[in-house]
Amino acid sequence: MRNKHKIHRRVLVLVILLVTALILIACGGAATPEPTQAPLEPEQTEEAQIPEETAAAPIEPENTREGVLRVAMQPIVQTDPAFISSDSEVLVANHVYDYLVDVDPDSIAIPRLASEWTTSDDGKIYVFNLAEGVTFHDGSPLTAEDVVWTFNRLRDPALELPTSSLYSNILDIQATGDLEVTFTLETPNPFFLYDLSDNHALILKAGTEDADTNFNGTGPFKVVEYLPEDRIVLEANEAYFVKGQPSLAGLEIIFFNDETASVDALRGGQVDVVMRMATSLFSSLQDEPGIITSDIPTNGFDLVRLRSDREPGNDPRVIQALKLATDRDAVFELVQQGYGAVGNDTPIGPLYSQYYASDLEPPARDVDAARQLLSEAGYADGLDLVLHTPDTGGRPDLAVVLKDQWAEAGVNVEVSVEPESVYYGDDGWLEVDLGITGWGSRPYPQFYLDVMLVCEAKWNESHFCDTEFDELAMMAGTTLNEDERVEAYRQIQQLLIDRGPVIIPYYFAQFGAISDQFEGFELKAFAGRTDFREVTLAQ
Amino acid sequence: MTSGTLFSSRKSESSAAPGWGRRFSLTLRQLYSKPASAVGSTIVILFLFLALFGPILAPYGANEQIFSDARRPPSSAHLLGTDNLGRDVFSRVVLGASEILLIAGSGTLIAVLFGTIIGLISGYKGGWLDETLMRFFDSLLALPALLLALLLLGIMGPSKSSVLIVLVLVYTPIIARVVRSVVLSVKTKGFVEASRLQGESLSWIMFREILPSVMPALTVEAALRFSYAIFLVASLGFLGVGIQPPSPNWGLMVKEARVHISQTPWALYAPAIAISILVIGVNLMADGLKRVLQSTSSD
Amino acid sequence: MIKSDIILHLINLTIAYLQAGRWLDAVRDVSLDIRAGETYGLVGESGSGKTTLALAIMGYLGGGGSVKLGEIKLDGQDLLALNENELREVWGSHIAFVPQNPQSSLNPSLRIGEQIAETLRYHQGFDKTDAHQKAIQLLEKVHIADAGLVANSYPHQISGGMQQRVMIAMALSTEPMLLVLDEPTTNLDVTTQAVILDLVRELIQNRQTAVLYVTHNLGVVAQLCDRVGVLYAGELVEEANTDDLYHKPLHPYTRGLLDSVPRLGEVKGEINLRAIQGQIPALDERASGCVFQARCPVGVEQCGQRPPIFHPTENRWVRCHRWEEIYGGQISVQQPELQDVAQHLVEDSEQGDVLKLERLEVYFPLHRSLNELVRRSPARLVRAVDGVSVNIPAGRTLGLVGESGSGKTTISRAIVGLVPRTGGSVQLLDFPLAPELKDRDLETLRHLQMVFQNPEEALNPYLTIGETLRRPLVTLLGYSGQVAEVKVRQLLEAVRLPASYANRLPDQLSGGEKQRVAIARAFASNPDVLICDEPVSALDVSVQASILNLLSDLQMDHDSSILFISHNLAVVSYLADQVAVIYLGHIMEVARSKVLFEPPYSPYTEALLSAIPVTDPHAEQRLVRLEGEIPSPADVPSGCPFHTRCPRYLGEICVDKEPPWQTDPETGKRYYCHIPPEDLRQIQEHIFRTDRTLNV
Repeated sequence: MRNKHKIHRRVLVLVILLVTALILIACGGAATPEPTQAPLEPEQTEEAQIPEETAAAPIEPENTREGVLRVAMQPIVQTDPAFISSDSEVLVANHVYDYLVDVDPDSIAIPRLASEWTTSDDGKIYVFNLAEGVTFHDGSPLTAEDVVWTFNRLRDPALELPTSSLYSNILDIQATGDLEVTFTLETPNPFFLYDLSDNHALILKAGTEDADTNFNGTGPFKVVEYLPEDRIVLEANEAYFVKGQPSLAGLEIIFFNDETASVDALRGGQVDVVMRMATSLFSSLQDEPGIITSDIPTNGFDLVRLRSDREPGNDPRVIQALKLATDRDAVFELVQQGYGAVGNDTPIGPLYSQYYASDLEPPARDVDAARQLLSEAGYADGLDLVLHTPDTGGRPDLAVVLKDQWAEAGVNVEVSVEPESVYYGDDGWLEVDLGITGWGSRPYPQFYLDVMLVCEAKWNESHFCDTEFDELAMMAGTTLNEDERVEAYRQIQQLLIDRGPVIIPYYFAQFGAISDQFEGFELKAFAGRTDFREVTLAQ
Repeated sequence: MTSGTLFSSRKSESSAAPGWGRRFSLTLRQLYSKPASAVGSTIVILFLFLALFGPILAPYGANEQIFSDARRPPSSAHLLGTDNLGRDVFSRVVLGASEILLIAGSGTLIAVLFGTIIGLISGYKGGWLDETLMRFFDSLLALPALLLALLLLGIMGPSKSSVLIVLVLVYTPIIARVVRSVVLSVKTKGFVEASRLQGESLSWIMFREILPSVMPALTVEAALRFSYAIFLVASLGFLGVGIQPPSPNWGLMVKEARVHISQTPWALYAPAIAISILVIGVNLMADGLKRVLQSTSSD
Repeated sequence: MIKSDIILHLINLTIAYLQAGRWLDAVRDVSLDIRAGETYGLVGESGSGKTTLALAIMGYLGGGGSVKLGEIKLDGQDLLALNENELREVWGSHIAFVPQNPQSSLNPSLRIGEQIAETLRYHQGFDKTDAHQKAIQLLEKVHIADAGLVANSYPHQISGGMQQRVMIAMALSTEPMLLVLDEPTTNLDVTTQAVILDLVRELIQNRQTAVLYVTHNLGVVAQLCDRVGVLYAGELVEEANTDDLYHKPLHPYTRGLLDSVPRLGEVKGEINLRAIQGQIPALDERASGCVFQARCPVGVEQCGQRPPIFHPTENRWVRCHRWEEIYGGQISVQQPELQDVAQHLVEDSEQGDVLKLERLEVYFPLHRSLNELVRRSPARLVRAVDGVSVNIPAGRTLGLVGESGSGKTTISRAIVGLVPRTGGSVQLLDFPLAPELKDRDLETLRHLQMVFQNPEEALNPYLTIGETLRRPLVTLLGYSGQVAEVKVRQLLEAVRLPASYANRLPDQLSGGEKQRVAIARAFASNPDVLICDEPVSALDVSVQASILNLLSDLQMDHDSSILFISHNLAVVSYLADQVAVIYLGHIMEVARSKVLFEPPYSPYTEALLSAIPVTDPHAEQRLVRLEGEIPSPADVPSGCPFHTRCPRYLGEICVDKEPPWQTDPETGKRYYCHIPPEDLRQIQEHIFRTDRTLNV
């Protein structure tokens, strides 16, 4: 008799174990952080001095600041604005500091710290007037000196900052008035305003020595507490120079390593905004009650590149073969699920409507031709490659899809997925032969050419060096003649399609999801530049 | 006092000693006499079958992407549906069986081989050799298996052979200890001392006198380690360490499917359930083996 | 003894065990009564069911066994009808149990005093201080010196004998109606056993407690019990007064049992030990007729039916169809002689000594504590064997007798090389032997072999008998294939096992059969010397005799010498030509077995002989009892090692000076003592006079 009970009990235990296991797996492995119910802190209305009329900032009636917005982002490493690069790092900096000028979704430069500016006819001299009444968080006022100091630092070749080559064209910067700054360029740069709005170009107080810890900016939010790996807590800057901004009382950027966990937190109400998530996660939020989703096309992309300065990539037939073996449409459907746009191996995407050559596209997939090329290059028995990729976004899936596609052409790919910090750490990504890199959206395509594809470019991961390309890029980047520029870009696109070292299968969409308790949220193509100054609690 | 129900009452049916083949079928029969171990053994046999004949049984390749079929729920064309990249989940699970069982199985076997030899020598010889070996193994055992695995894989770099080495390093100490403890209790028995008095060689004593007595405990321990090894390999796949996509490693499949759970939940449940069932099955079988091989009426 | 109420009443009790899905009867249809103040001895070998019966009476049967039929009544109360709470009340106050192994019955994490007090508080409502006081009183009652100290000690800090006294104290603390003792002295030394038995006898003398004493030791029963029941294969086959049973046993099994046990003073030249042929049937093999039929020398067809109870007199009964013939003396129930037992004439051997031990020393260093290491104190030594010199003549048997801790096993292992000696020499045929086994060559090994104590572990369970026997032939003698096969068959025949056994596994053999195979293996290389280390201690009483006879025969066939080690003086003296008595690593006496039982005795031998319970209720045994405990071999007393307990302690001389070897000219005994033989002869009397009559 007793034996029967033993059996029943055992079966029951088994079933319970199975069910528990399933539940645990389904709920996701990463521990969700402690839910922080940020209390609503209504602020007292302040006696704010009414600022002088500025060119763009509207006069807002004083309103009570309320609401704390909790944003889920990847952990930040760099806090010194000169070194930031990731979305989350830029997002934090964007709210602690201010840019001189901002770029709106139509790629037009708009005032921020600079209220107005003038350009000389030869395009070499820019004069900026700064807004009045701007103070740093420590109370000291913003002067032209701070702007001069900031940009001198950014362009100082001795410091070897990422921006040093970007600003190499600047001849001189002068504080020509208490609130007036004059830039003199060596050669005209039609994109200068965009360059001034580079992610790193946040204005610091002159003489700052500990830029990575003092968080002393002019921005709409002040840092209350920075807990590395956990979160950074910000409160509204009462003395912000734009009246009425920010509308929120506080901002919390909570760090998540795992995208799934951040989406779960959004669902569970522990965060209010998520901007970085895989396509399928975004799809799963579509019908979620209480959450508003938005997606916008961007100029960002994933690119696959083979180093062209050494074997096997130094034989252009090899790269050509890889391109021929790739089915970009299939990749777009599988990996991006139709969000964004199909790529054409150039960094100039359809969003750059005036520059994008829609009639130019890479040849259709031809596996046999690919095989042919490979055997001509000496790899008739197959080519073995290791494909390195960071573990975020759609990149691992992209790697796996390419592995399958290229296998048909006789290319054996071994996938090596690495954590993002490992892939980008120590600039390892610039060394590997075959890698996948994600590039964020920029307001103008010249940036990619100058930073990624020009021979001496700082981030020339494919080690591409082509004189004709360099000439075209130079020309497109300096001429003030728009038509010339369009033509140059067209030729660049053709060149890249013909013999460029990169495969760009798609352009991303940028996703965002926000709790419906808030309104005023506008997604930007480079997520880090999203602006929470105008976000308010929903009425 | 009978050791093991394998050899029954004095009046046995045949007066001849059962050979190894008969012992094996006897063990099998006794495993099936109780429902728990019967279920476990069936599961193990089923998965072994899948592992062996996987490549023939799987209708699609492990990384075969049919993008027009992506994200389909289970149907007659795809028994367990397809994942977000259009790969057949059923095929991946089946092919994953051979992956996991091959790595876990060979790792366990090698660990058993090393562990047995070390345990035999260490236990029989004793002295400083025994002390040194065991203290070294103690320090290895102090580290949790997963931690040790991550450490070693970080040093050696991820690859299948690294995972194998990790398995061997993690499980050899335990096997050696188990073998050694049996050796310690057996070597004082009369028949071993009688062998020594008859001038038998060291290898005869270790392998013909002592080793057979070690086999029951060793078999049970090996089966248990096998289940742990399977779980470890799946865990490493889940953490994305040592196993690279598009390997049909079940743990890796679970990790990849997590992101897409709202769209393709079957892509997550199938490998997760496979892991659970196999591990539970091996455990049940190990329990059964313990009952069959190690039951002593004197307790 | 006042014959009063019946305290324990068993009626048709049948107890069954669940084995592999079947219920098998372990005890069948047992009925017995025990009256107040009466001591009932339940005698049986292992497998007879006596422990099962005792456990069932206590209610301790556990999951695998259950009472199938019958009743157990304690003073009229039906024990089987009680639930657990009620049983617990009964345990505390009416029944007490003294188990075989005190070690596993005492809580190792509680002090002795606490454990005793616990029972007192729970069952008798004492409060804390009173209970503690009473506990100490109880300890004193069982003659524990320094009761306060013991009460504060943990079980592992006191010796086995003392633990058993504590158990007895606890058992009697509740003044139970019935006291059940299950082999309480089996694990104790002979000398300790004697003391415990004295204690039990004393304690029950003046009480009205009914006592059930379960044992296999016929000597103990003879000395202690009023009535005896003989249990065989789960059935009670005979019951009688102790006197009647021992002097006029009726049942063939009882008779066979008494015949197979060697008694003190009996030597192999004079009487024949007769083993009971066959073996005790397993649970599933029990016949439906008379349970002893398969092994009975006088069984007839009628025995196919279970014999009813016959009453030859009012006070005794027996289950045997042929009881009248046996009672009247018309038939003899002697077991047949299996083979002619050779009469060894005990003469002094003319051949030389084949094994010579000269001042053999085996010392073990104790692990030094950190304290001692730092202070560089020399390591303390355990002197297991302390200067033993003894010789074995060719073709003769030397018996070595000692209690546990005496060093006898260490000697055997040192001779053979399993334990390296630290001093002295061992010579085999005038050839010195290396201290360690690994340094000896095969030639040497061939001449010296050993039979071990535990037959269950003597054979490799994974090799067949044939393979086991083949190994020494192949390794030591270099035989091959065919020749070895023939030899194996011969060996089996020599130990009286069928040739078909060669294909069997050890698990298919009984304990006695396994030991025979071990003996065959030992004789395979025709050794000059065979060391037997307690070869029959683990075997059933009825089987021991056949093994002893076998050894004796083989010795004659091979002309080997045997060193026979045992703690059982009766067995040793039966088989051996000469006996050496060992205490704390020192030989205390060497004598021919014939004269061992005559004075003068060395004081230790005297005590030993006094302690052994004689299998004769009428025997008068001089009682010499030893005080205190055996000292630890790590702290051997100076001078004469026995001086701490010697009843014939002389004085300072025993402490300061090592005694000389005395030789008694009349008997040829040599012993180690300061007292010369003439003096001893004057003060010592014959230890016992037995009245054993052979055959009826």
